[in-house]
Amino acid sequence: MKRDPTAALTTLMTRPYKYIRLEWSEELAALRLRTCVKPIQCYSLAAMAELQRVFSDIAENPGLVKHYVMTSDVPGVFNFGGDLSLFVLLIRARDIESLRMYGRRCIDLVWWMENASKLGVHTTVLVQGDTLGGGLESVMPFHKVIFERSAQAGFPEVLFNLFPGMGAWDFTIRKAGFAIANEMILSGRLYTAEQLQRRSLVDLIVEDGEGEAAIEAVLRSVNPRLRGTLAALEARRHAAPITYESLMTIVDQWTETALQLTDRDLRLMERLARAQVRKAGGGNEGAVAEIKQIELDTAWGEERTGVTEWGAFA
Amino acid sequence: MLPFFADLVMRTDEARRDFETNPVVLDAVAHGMSIERYRKLLLELYHVVWHFNPVCAAAASRVPDAQRQVRYFLYEHMHEESGHEEWVMNDLEAVGVAHADTRAHTASLHTLALNGYNYWAADRRHPCSVLGMMYALEVIASVYGGTFSSAIRESLLLEGDRGVSFISSHATMDAEHMVTLRQVLNTITDDDAREAVVESATLNFFYFTRVFESV
Repeated sequence: MKRDPTAALTTLMTRPYKYIRLEWSEELAALRLRTCVKPIQCYSLAAMAELQRVFSDIAENPGLVKHYVMTSDVPGVFNFGGDLSLFVLLIRARDIESLRMYGRRCIDLVWWMENASKLGVHTTVLVQGDTLGGGLESVMPFHKVIFERSAQAGFPEVLFNLFPGMGAWDFTIRKAGFAIANEMILSGRLYTAEQLQRRSLVDLIVEDGEGEAAIEAVLRSVNPRLRGTLAALEARRHAAPITYESLMTIVDQWTETALQLTDRDLRLMERLARAQVRKAGGGNEGAVAEIKQIELDTAWGEERTGVTEWGAFA
Repeated sequence: MLPFFADLVMRTDEARRDFETNPVVLDAVAHGMSIERYRKLLLELYHVVWHFNPVCAAAASRVPDAQRQVRYFLYEHMHEESGHEEWVMNDLEAVGVAHADTRAHTASLHTLALNGYNYWAADRRHPCSVLGMMYALEVIASVYGGTFSSAIRESLLLEGDRGVSFISSHATMDAEHMVTLRQVLNTITDDDAREAVVESATLNFFYFTRVFESV
Protein backbone atom coordinates (compact mmCIF):
# COMPACT_ATOMS: atom_id res chain seq x y z
CA MET A 1 0.00 0.00 0.00
CA LYS A 2 1.39 3.39 -0.98
CA ARG A 3 1.83 5.76 1.94
CA ASP A 4 0.46 9.26 2.08
CA PRO A 5 3.54 11.41 1.21
CA THR A 6 2.46 14.28 3.45
CA ALA A 7 2.05 11.99 6.43
CA ALA A 8 5.36 10.27 5.65
CA LEU A 9 7.14 13.60 5.46
CA THR A 10 5.58 14.75 8.72
CA THR A 11 6.72 11.55 10.41
CA LEU A 12 10.25 11.96 9.02
CA MET A 13 10.58 15.58 10.05
CA THR A 14 9.04 15.38 13.49
CA ARG A 15 10.87 12.46 15.04
CA PRO A 16 12.66 13.51 18.23
CA TYR A 17 16.31 13.52 17.16
CA LYS A 18 19.05 14.49 19.52
CA TYR A 19 22.17 14.57 17.39
CA ILE A 20 20.85 15.55 13.99
CA ARG A 21 18.73 18.36 12.63
CA LEU A 22 16.61 18.02 9.53
CA GLU A 23 15.50 20.67 7.05
CA TRP A 24 13.18 20.16 4.12
CA SER A 25 13.12 21.97 0.79
CA GLU A 26 9.76 21.41 -0.86
CA GLU A 27 10.84 22.83 -4.21
CA LEU A 28 13.70 20.36 -4.72
CA ALA A 29 12.38 17.56 -2.51
CA ALA A 30 15.72 17.92 -0.72
CA LEU A 31 16.35 16.67 2.78
CA ARG A 32 19.19 18.44 4.56
CA LEU A 33 20.72 16.63 7.53
CA ARG A 34 22.96 18.54 9.90
CA THR A 35 24.93 16.61 12.48
CA CYS A 36 25.87 17.79 15.96
CA VAL A 37 26.96 14.86 18.08
CA LYS A 38 27.63 15.69 21.73
CA PRO A 39 30.13 15.84 23.30
CA ILE A 40 32.31 14.79 20.35
CA GLN A 41 31.31 15.04 16.72
CA CYS A 42 31.87 11.41 15.84
CA TYR A 43 29.88 8.34 14.85
CA SER A 44 28.63 7.34 18.28
CA LEU A 45 26.17 4.45 18.47
CA ALA A 46 23.35 6.81 19.37
CA ALA A 47 24.09 9.14 16.45
CA MET A 48 24.26 6.21 14.06
CA ALA A 49 20.89 4.97 15.30
CA GLU A 50 19.37 8.34 14.40
CA LEU A 51 20.96 8.30 10.94
CA GLN A 52 19.67 4.79 10.37
CA ARG A 53 16.18 5.95 11.35
CA VAL A 54 16.31 8.73 8.76
CA PHE A 55 17.59 6.36 6.07
CA SER A 56 14.84 3.85 6.85
CA ASP A 57 12.19 6.57 6.61
CA ILE A 58 13.55 7.62 3.20
CA ALA A 59 13.70 4.03 1.94
CA GLU A 60 10.19 3.26 3.15
CA ASN A 61 8.79 6.18 1.16
CA PRO A 62 10.12 5.93 -2.39
CA GLY A 63 9.96 9.18 -4.34
CA LEU A 64 9.58 11.35 -1.26
CA VAL A 65 13.20 12.49 -0.99
CA LYS A 66 15.08 13.21 -4.21
CA HIS A 67 18.13 14.91 -2.79
CA TYR A 68 19.89 14.07 0.46
CA VAL A 69 22.41 16.62 1.71
CA MET A 70 24.64 16.19 4.73
CA THR A 71 26.59 18.88 6.59
CA SER A 72 27.96 19.46 10.07
CA ASP A 73 26.67 21.95 12.60
CA VAL A 74 29.96 21.86 14.52
CA PRO A 75 32.32 24.66 13.47
CA GLY A 76 35.66 23.39 12.18
CA VAL A 77 34.72 19.71 12.33
CA PHE A 78 32.82 17.62 9.82
CA ASN A 79 33.28 14.36 11.65
CA PHE A 80 36.03 12.70 13.71
CA GLY A 81 34.93 9.23 12.61
CA GLY A 82 34.74 6.27 14.92
CA ASP A 83 33.97 6.64 18.60
CA LEU A 84 37.53 6.15 19.84
CA SER A 85 36.76 6.14 23.55
CA LEU A 86 34.10 3.50 22.92
CA PHE A 87 36.64 1.42 20.98
CA VAL A 88 39.09 1.64 23.88
CA LEU A 89 36.40 0.55 26.31
CA LEU A 90 35.21 -2.39 24.20
CA ILE A 91 38.74 -3.52 23.42
CA ARG A 92 39.68 -3.46 27.09
CA ALA A 93 36.53 -5.46 27.85
CA ARG A 94 37.53 -7.93 25.06
CA ASP A 95 34.02 -7.40 23.71
CA ILE A 96 34.33 -8.62 20.15
CA GLU A 97 30.56 -8.93 19.72
CA SER A 98 29.92 -5.26 20.42
CA LEU A 99 32.87 -4.14 18.33
CA ARG A 100 31.59 -6.21 15.44
CA MET A 101 28.11 -4.83 15.96
CA TYR A 102 29.49 -1.27 15.86
CA GLY A 103 31.39 -1.99 12.64
CA ARG A 104 28.41 -3.65 11.00
CA ARG A 105 26.15 -0.74 11.88
CA CYS A 106 28.63 1.55 10.12
CA ILE A 107 28.57 -0.71 7.08
CA ASP A 108 24.77 -0.67 7.02
CA LEU A 109 24.87 3.13 6.78
CA VAL A 110 27.57 3.05 4.11
CA TRP A 111 25.61 0.42 2.19
CA TRP A 112 22.48 2.54 2.26
CA MET A 113 24.49 5.41 0.77
CA GLU A 114 25.90 3.09 -1.89
CA ASN A 115 22.33 2.11 -2.82
CA ALA A 116 20.90 5.64 -2.73
CA SER A 117 20.79 5.94 -6.53
CA LYS A 118 18.68 2.78 -6.68
CA LEU A 119 16.30 4.40 -4.20
CA GLY A 120 16.02 7.46 -6.45
CA VAL A 121 18.05 9.70 -4.14
CA HIS A 122 20.98 11.88 -5.20
CA THR A 123 23.42 12.52 -2.36
CA THR A 124 25.60 15.57 -1.70
CA VAL A 125 27.96 16.28 1.19
CA LEU A 126 29.64 19.50 2.25
CA VAL A 127 32.78 19.18 4.36
CA GLN A 128 33.78 22.29 6.30
CA GLY A 129 36.61 21.40 8.66
CA ASP A 130 38.36 18.25 9.79
CA THR A 131 37.15 14.83 8.81
CA LEU A 132 39.12 11.84 9.96
CA GLY A 133 39.00 8.07 9.59
CA GLY A 134 35.38 6.99 9.63
CA GLY A 135 34.40 10.60 8.97
CA LEU A 136 36.18 10.47 5.62
CA GLU A 137 34.82 6.99 4.96
CA SER A 138 31.32 8.33 5.46
CA VAL A 139 31.96 11.04 2.85
CA MET A 140 33.24 8.66 0.16
CA PRO A 141 29.93 7.09 -0.92
CA PHE A 142 28.26 10.46 -1.60
CA HIS A 143 27.56 11.19 -5.25
CA LYS A 144 28.84 14.75 -4.97
CA VAL A 145 31.58 15.65 -2.51
CA ILE A 146 32.16 19.36 -1.82
CA PHE A 147 35.04 20.56 0.38
CA GLU A 148 35.67 24.06 1.62
CA ARG A 149 39.29 24.98 0.97
CA SER A 150 40.54 24.79 4.56
CA ALA A 151 39.05 21.35 5.20
CA GLN A 152 41.47 18.51 5.88
CA ALA A 153 40.98 14.77 5.87
CA GLY A 154 42.81 11.50 6.20
CA PHE A 155 42.89 8.01 7.58
CA PRO A 156 45.04 8.18 10.75
CA GLU A 157 44.15 4.65 11.95
CA VAL A 158 47.48 3.12 10.98
CA LEU A 159 49.13 5.43 13.53
CA PHE A 160 47.62 3.29 16.27
CA ASN A 161 48.01 -0.02 14.43
CA LEU A 162 44.51 -0.18 13.04
CA PHE A 163 43.09 0.51 9.60
CA PRO A 164 39.90 2.16 8.39
CA GLY A 165 37.50 -0.76 8.06
CA MET A 166 34.20 0.81 7.10
CA GLY A 167 34.49 1.21 3.34
CA ALA A 168 37.77 3.12 2.93
CA TRP A 169 39.43 0.49 0.75
CA ASP A 170 36.48 -0.20 -1.53
CA PHE A 171 35.48 3.41 -2.07
CA THR A 172 38.99 4.85 -2.40
CA ILE A 173 39.93 2.18 -4.93
CA ARG A 174 36.76 2.88 -6.89
CA LYS A 175 37.25 6.62 -6.96
CA ALA A 176 41.01 7.06 -6.95
CA GLY A 177 42.58 3.71 -7.79
CA PHE A 178 44.56 1.12 -5.90
CA ALA A 179 47.84 3.04 -5.61
CA ILE A 180 46.20 6.05 -4.00
CA ALA A 181 44.16 3.89 -1.64
CA ASN A 182 47.40 2.22 -0.62
CA GLU A 183 49.15 5.55 -0.11
CA MET A 184 46.35 7.12 1.90
CA ILE A 185 45.48 4.20 4.13
CA LEU A 186 48.99 2.95 4.83
CA SER A 187 50.56 6.36 5.43
CA GLY A 188 48.03 7.71 7.94
CA ARG A 189 48.71 11.14 6.40
CA LEU A 190 46.36 14.09 6.37
CA TYR A 191 45.41 15.70 3.07
CA THR A 192 44.23 19.15 2.10
CA ALA A 193 41.11 19.64 0.04
CA GLU A 194 43.25 20.29 -3.03
CA GLN A 195 45.30 17.15 -2.52
CA LEU A 196 42.09 15.15 -2.23
CA GLN A 197 40.67 16.72 -5.37
CA ARG A 198 43.83 15.81 -7.28
CA ARG A 199 43.22 12.24 -6.10
CA SER A 200 39.61 12.36 -7.40
CA LEU A 201 38.10 12.00 -3.94
CA VAL A 202 36.65 15.51 -3.89
CA ASP A 203 34.48 16.76 -6.75
CA LEU A 204 34.37 20.43 -5.95
CA ILE A 205 36.40 22.83 -3.81
CA VAL A 206 34.95 26.18 -2.82
CA GLU A 207 36.35 28.99 -0.72
CA ASP A 208 35.60 28.96 3.00
CA GLY A 209 32.12 30.28 3.62
CA GLU A 210 30.92 29.47 0.12
CA GLY A 211 29.86 25.91 0.83
CA GLU A 212 26.18 26.70 1.26
CA ALA A 213 25.99 28.40 -2.11
CA ALA A 214 27.81 25.46 -3.66
CA ILE A 215 25.21 23.01 -2.31
CA GLU A 216 22.45 25.10 -3.81
CA ALA A 217 24.27 25.25 -7.16
CA VAL A 218 24.84 21.48 -7.20
CA LEU A 219 21.20 20.69 -6.40
CA ARG A 220 19.94 23.12 -9.03
CA SER A 221 22.28 21.73 -11.68
CA VAL A 222 21.49 18.08 -10.93
CA ASN A 223 17.73 18.45 -10.44
CA PRO A 224 16.68 19.00 -14.09
CA ARG A 225 18.55 15.84 -15.12
CA LEU A 226 18.04 13.85 -11.96
CA ARG A 227 16.64 10.67 -13.55
CA GLY A 228 19.47 10.46 -16.07
CA THR A 229 22.08 11.22 -13.43
CA LEU A 230 20.76 8.55 -11.08
CA ALA A 231 20.57 6.01 -13.91
CA ALA A 232 24.19 6.79 -14.82
CA LEU A 233 25.27 6.49 -11.20
CA GLU A 234 23.45 3.18 -10.95
CA ALA A 235 25.26 1.99 -14.09
CA ARG A 236 28.53 3.14 -12.48
CA ARG A 237 27.82 0.81 -9.59
CA HIS A 238 27.68 -2.09 -12.01
CA ALA A 239 30.82 -0.96 -13.81
CA ALA A 240 32.80 -0.70 -10.58
CA PRO A 241 30.88 -2.86 -8.13
CA ILE A 242 31.26 -2.73 -4.38
CA THR A 243 29.65 -5.62 -2.57
CA TYR A 244 28.07 -5.83 0.85
CA GLU A 245 30.01 -9.06 1.39
CA SER A 246 33.35 -7.34 0.75
CA LEU A 247 32.47 -4.52 3.15
CA MET A 248 31.38 -7.01 5.82
CA THR A 249 34.46 -9.19 5.41
CA ILE A 250 36.70 -6.17 5.83
CA VAL A 251 34.83 -4.86 8.88
CA ASP A 252 35.05 -8.30 10.49
CA GLN A 253 38.79 -8.24 9.89
CA TRP A 254 38.87 -4.74 11.38
CA THR A 255 37.17 -6.13 14.49
CA GLU A 256 39.73 -8.91 14.87
CA THR A 257 42.57 -6.43 14.39
CA ALA A 258 41.12 -3.97 16.90
CA LEU A 259 41.01 -6.66 19.53
CA GLN A 260 44.74 -7.24 19.12
CA LEU A 261 45.72 -3.64 19.84
CA THR A 262 48.24 -3.30 22.62
CA ASP A 263 48.10 -1.00 25.60
CA ARG A 264 50.43 1.41 23.77
CA ASP A 265 48.10 1.52 20.76
CA LEU A 266 45.12 2.15 23.02
CA ARG A 267 46.90 4.98 24.79
CA LEU A 268 47.65 6.58 21.46
CA MET A 269 44.01 6.20 20.56
CA GLU A 270 43.05 7.81 23.87
CA ARG A 271 45.45 10.67 23.17
CA LEU A 272 43.70 11.30 19.88
CA ALA A 273 40.29 11.03 21.56
CA ARG A 274 41.29 13.68 24.10
CA ALA A 275 42.54 15.92 21.30
CA GLN A 276 39.14 15.58 19.63
CA VAL A 277 37.52 16.89 22.80
CA ARG A 278 39.81 19.93 22.80
CA LYS A 279 38.69 20.78 19.27
CA ALA A 280 35.04 20.04 20.05
CA GLY A 281 35.38 22.36 23.04
CA GLY A 282 36.28 25.23 20.76
CA GLY A 283 40.06 24.93 20.83
CA ASN A 284 42.03 25.73 17.72
CA GLU A 285 44.21 22.68 18.01
CA GLY A 286 42.48 19.35 18.00
CA ALA A 287 42.88 15.89 16.56
CA VAL A 288 44.47 17.18 13.36
CA ALA A 289 47.20 18.99 15.30
CA GLU A 290 47.66 15.88 17.42
CA ILE A 291 48.05 13.67 14.34
CA LYS A 292 50.63 16.05 12.93
CA GLN A 293 52.48 15.89 16.24
CA ILE A 294 52.29 12.09 16.21
CA GLU A 295 53.62 12.06 12.63
CA LEU A 296 56.48 14.32 13.69
CA ASP A 297 57.23 12.21 16.74
CA THR A 298 57.21 9.11 14.58
CA ALA A 299 59.49 10.61 11.95
CA TRP A 300 61.83 11.75 14.70
CA GLY A 301 61.78 8.29 16.23
CA GLU A 302 62.49 6.69 12.86
CA GLU A 303 65.36 9.04 12.13
CA ARG A 304 66.84 8.48 15.54
CA THR A 305 66.44 4.74 15.83
CA GLY A 306 65.54 3.53 12.38
CA VAL A 307 62.26 2.11 13.63
CA THR A 308 58.86 3.51 14.38
CA GLU A 309 58.55 3.45 18.13
CA TRP A 310 55.48 4.37 20.08
CA GLY A 311 57.08 3.88 23.47
CA ALA A 312 57.08 7.62 24.05
CA PHE A 313 53.29 7.57 24.23
CA ALA A 314 52.94 4.60 26.52
CA MET B 1 19.36 -9.11 20.28
CA LEU B 2 22.06 -6.81 21.59
CA PRO B 3 24.18 -8.36 24.38
CA PHE B 4 23.38 -6.51 27.60
CA PHE B 5 26.93 -5.20 27.98
CA ALA B 6 26.67 -3.48 24.58
CA ASP B 7 23.22 -2.18 25.50
CA LEU B 8 24.62 -0.77 28.75
CA VAL B 9 27.53 0.87 26.94
CA MET B 10 25.13 2.46 24.46
CA ARG B 11 22.55 3.63 26.98
CA THR B 12 25.13 5.15 29.30
CA ASP B 13 27.21 6.55 26.44
CA GLU B 14 26.38 10.17 27.16
CA ALA B 15 27.01 9.91 30.92
CA ARG B 16 30.37 8.22 30.28
CA ARG B 17 31.35 10.83 27.73
CA ASP B 18 30.25 13.63 30.04
CA PHE B 19 32.83 12.36 32.51
CA GLU B 20 35.51 11.86 29.86
CA THR B 21 35.01 15.28 28.32
CA ASN B 22 34.66 17.24 31.54
CA PRO B 23 37.31 20.02 31.37
CA VAL B 24 38.52 19.35 34.93
CA VAL B 25 38.96 15.65 34.19
CA LEU B 26 40.68 16.32 30.87
CA ASP B 27 43.07 18.76 32.46
CA ALA B 28 43.90 16.37 35.29
CA VAL B 29 44.52 13.51 32.87
CA ALA B 30 46.77 15.68 30.71
CA HIS B 31 48.64 17.70 33.34
CA GLY B 32 48.04 16.05 36.70
CA MET B 33 46.98 18.29 39.59
CA SER B 34 48.39 20.20 42.54
CA ILE B 35 49.22 18.25 45.67
CA GLU B 36 46.37 19.94 47.56
CA ARG B 37 43.83 18.86 44.98
CA TYR B 38 45.29 15.37 44.74
CA ARG B 39 45.01 14.98 48.52
CA LYS B 40 41.38 16.08 48.35
CA LEU B 41 40.68 13.63 45.54
CA LEU B 42 42.29 10.73 47.39
CA LEU B 43 40.35 11.60 50.55
CA GLU B 44 37.09 11.43 48.61
CA LEU B 45 38.26 8.25 46.91
CA TYR B 46 38.95 6.73 50.31
CA HIS B 47 35.24 6.94 51.19
CA VAL B 48 34.22 5.43 47.85
CA VAL B 49 36.64 2.53 48.28
CA TRP B 50 35.79 2.03 51.97
CA HIS B 51 32.11 1.64 51.13
CA PHE B 52 32.62 -0.40 47.96
CA ASN B 53 32.65 -3.82 49.62
CA PRO B 54 29.78 -3.11 52.06
CA VAL B 55 27.65 -2.01 49.09
CA CYS B 56 28.60 -5.21 47.25
CA ALA B 57 27.83 -7.26 50.36
CA ALA B 58 24.43 -5.59 50.75
CA ALA B 59 23.68 -6.41 47.13
CA ALA B 60 24.99 -9.98 47.36
CA SER B 61 22.72 -10.71 50.33
CA ARG B 62 19.69 -9.67 48.27
CA VAL B 63 20.49 -11.19 44.90
CA PRO B 64 17.82 -13.80 44.12
CA ASP B 65 18.84 -17.42 43.63
CA ALA B 66 17.97 -17.15 39.94
CA GLN B 67 20.92 -14.78 39.57
CA ARG B 68 23.37 -16.74 41.66
CA GLN B 69 26.12 -16.10 39.09
CA VAL B 70 25.95 -12.43 40.10
CA ARG B 71 26.24 -13.38 43.76
CA TYR B 72 29.36 -15.49 43.12
CA PHE B 73 30.82 -12.72 40.99
CA LEU B 74 30.31 -10.29 43.88
CA TYR B 75 31.93 -12.70 46.39
CA GLU B 76 35.04 -12.94 44.23
CA HIS B 77 35.16 -9.24 43.58
CA MET B 78 34.83 -8.38 47.26
CA HIS B 79 37.64 -10.78 48.06
CA GLU B 80 39.88 -9.06 45.51
CA GLU B 81 38.99 -5.56 46.67
CA SER B 82 39.31 -6.33 50.35
CA GLY B 83 41.82 -4.04 52.05
CA HIS B 84 42.26 -1.69 49.11
CA GLU B 85 41.18 1.27 51.22
CA GLU B 86 44.56 0.80 52.93
CA TRP B 87 46.26 1.37 49.58
CA VAL B 88 44.48 4.72 49.39
CA MET B 89 45.53 5.50 52.97
CA ASN B 90 49.14 4.65 52.16
CA ASP B 91 49.02 6.86 49.07
CA LEU B 92 47.62 9.65 51.21
CA GLU B 93 50.38 9.14 53.74
CA ALA B 94 52.92 9.41 50.90
CA VAL B 95 51.53 12.83 50.03
CA GLY B 96 51.42 14.02 53.63
CA VAL B 97 48.08 12.92 55.12
CA ALA B 98 48.32 10.78 58.24
CA HIS B 99 46.10 7.69 58.57
CA ALA B 100 44.23 9.24 61.49
CA ASP B 101 43.40 12.33 59.43
CA THR B 102 42.13 10.16 56.58
CA ARG B 103 39.86 8.21 58.94
CA ALA B 104 38.58 11.45 60.46
CA HIS B 105 37.86 13.05 57.11
CA THR B 106 34.24 13.85 56.29
CA ALA B 107 33.22 13.02 52.76
CA SER B 108 31.93 15.76 50.48
CA LEU B 109 28.23 16.00 49.67
CA HIS B 110 28.82 14.49 46.23
CA THR B 111 30.62 11.47 47.69
CA LEU B 112 27.91 11.06 50.33
CA ALA B 113 25.29 11.17 47.57
CA LEU B 114 27.25 8.65 45.49
CA ASN B 115 27.64 6.20 48.37
CA GLY B 116 24.13 6.83 49.64
CA TYR B 117 22.63 6.09 46.25
CA ASN B 118 24.64 2.88 45.91
CA TYR B 119 23.43 1.58 49.31
CA TRP B 120 19.86 2.58 48.56
CA ALA B 121 19.94 1.01 45.10
CA ALA B 122 21.34 -2.29 46.41
CA ASP B 123 18.70 -2.33 49.14
CA ARG B 124 15.58 -0.87 47.53
CA ARG B 125 16.07 -0.58 43.76
CA HIS B 126 17.56 -3.91 42.66
CA PRO B 127 20.61 -5.77 43.97
CA CYS B 128 22.02 -6.04 40.44
CA SER B 129 22.33 -2.23 40.39
CA VAL B 130 25.70 -2.75 42.05
CA LEU B 131 26.96 -3.93 38.67
CA GLY B 132 26.24 -0.46 37.29
CA MET B 133 28.41 1.04 40.03
CA MET B 134 31.19 -1.40 39.15
CA TYR B 135 30.88 -0.66 35.45
CA ALA B 136 31.23 3.09 35.97
CA LEU B 137 34.15 2.81 38.40
CA GLU B 138 35.98 0.27 36.25
CA VAL B 139 35.55 2.29 33.08
CA ILE B 140 36.98 5.29 34.87
CA ALA B 141 39.88 3.30 36.31
CA SER B 142 40.75 1.16 33.31
CA VAL B 143 40.44 3.86 30.66
CA TYR B 144 41.83 6.82 32.60
CA GLY B 145 43.66 5.42 35.62
CA GLY B 146 46.93 4.72 33.81
CA THR B 147 47.23 8.10 32.13
CA PHE B 148 46.06 9.94 35.22
CA SER B 149 48.53 8.22 37.55
CA SER B 150 51.38 8.96 35.10
CA ALA B 151 50.35 12.62 35.00
CA ILE B 152 50.18 12.78 38.80
CA ARG B 153 53.55 11.05 39.15
CA GLU B 154 55.11 13.61 36.79
CA SER B 155 53.43 16.71 38.14
CA LEU B 156 54.14 15.86 41.79
CA LEU B 157 57.56 14.30 41.12
CA LEU B 158 56.59 11.06 42.86
CA GLU B 159 58.87 8.05 42.64
CA GLY B 160 57.62 4.71 41.34
CA ASP B 161 54.16 3.85 42.62
CA ARG B 162 54.57 5.85 45.82
CA GLY B 163 51.47 7.99 46.24
CA VAL B 164 49.71 6.53 43.20
CA SER B 165 49.62 2.82 44.01
CA PHE B 166 45.84 2.58 44.24
CA ILE B 167 45.04 4.34 40.98
CA SER B 168 47.96 2.88 39.10
CA SER B 169 47.28 -0.73 40.07
CA HIS B 170 43.55 -0.42 39.46
CA ALA B 171 44.20 0.81 35.94
CA THR B 172 45.65 -2.60 35.13
CA MET B 173 43.44 -4.70 37.37
CA ASP B 174 40.23 -3.11 36.22
CA ALA B 175 41.04 -3.78 32.59
CA GLU B 176 40.95 -7.48 33.56
CA HIS B 177 37.86 -6.97 35.73
CA MET B 178 36.08 -5.41 32.78
CA VAL B 179 36.26 -8.72 30.92
CA THR B 180 34.60 -10.65 33.75
CA LEU B 181 32.12 -7.86 34.41
CA ARG B 182 31.06 -8.00 30.75
CA GLN B 183 30.57 -11.74 31.02
CA VAL B 184 28.38 -11.51 34.10
CA LEU B 185 26.37 -8.57 32.70
CA ASN B 186 25.60 -10.60 29.59
CA THR B 187 23.95 -13.25 31.76
CA ILE B 188 21.31 -10.80 33.03
CA THR B 189 18.06 -11.18 31.14
CA ASP B 190 15.64 -9.68 33.65
CA ASP B 191 14.36 -6.27 32.50
CA ASP B 192 14.08 -4.78 36.00
CA ALA B 193 17.66 -5.79 36.77
CA ARG B 194 18.88 -4.33 33.48
CA GLU B 195 17.12 -1.02 34.07
CA ALA B 196 18.61 -0.80 37.56
CA VAL B 197 22.12 -1.41 36.20
CA VAL B 198 21.73 1.30 33.57
CA GLU B 199 20.39 3.78 36.15
CA SER B 200 23.17 2.99 38.57
CA ALA B 201 25.92 3.37 35.97
CA THR B 202 24.47 6.71 34.89
CA LEU B 203 24.25 7.96 38.49
CA ASN B 204 27.77 6.79 39.32
CA PHE B 205 29.26 8.52 36.27
CA PHE B 206 27.33 11.66 37.19
CA TYR B 207 28.41 11.80 40.84
CA PHE B 208 31.97 10.75 40.15
CA THR B 209 32.23 13.63 37.69
CA ARG B 210 30.92 15.99 40.39
CA VAL B 211 33.42 14.60 42.93
CA PHE B 212 36.23 15.21 40.47
CA GLU B 213 35.00 18.72 39.71
CA SER B 214 34.67 19.65 43.36
CA VAL B 215 38.29 18.96 44.27
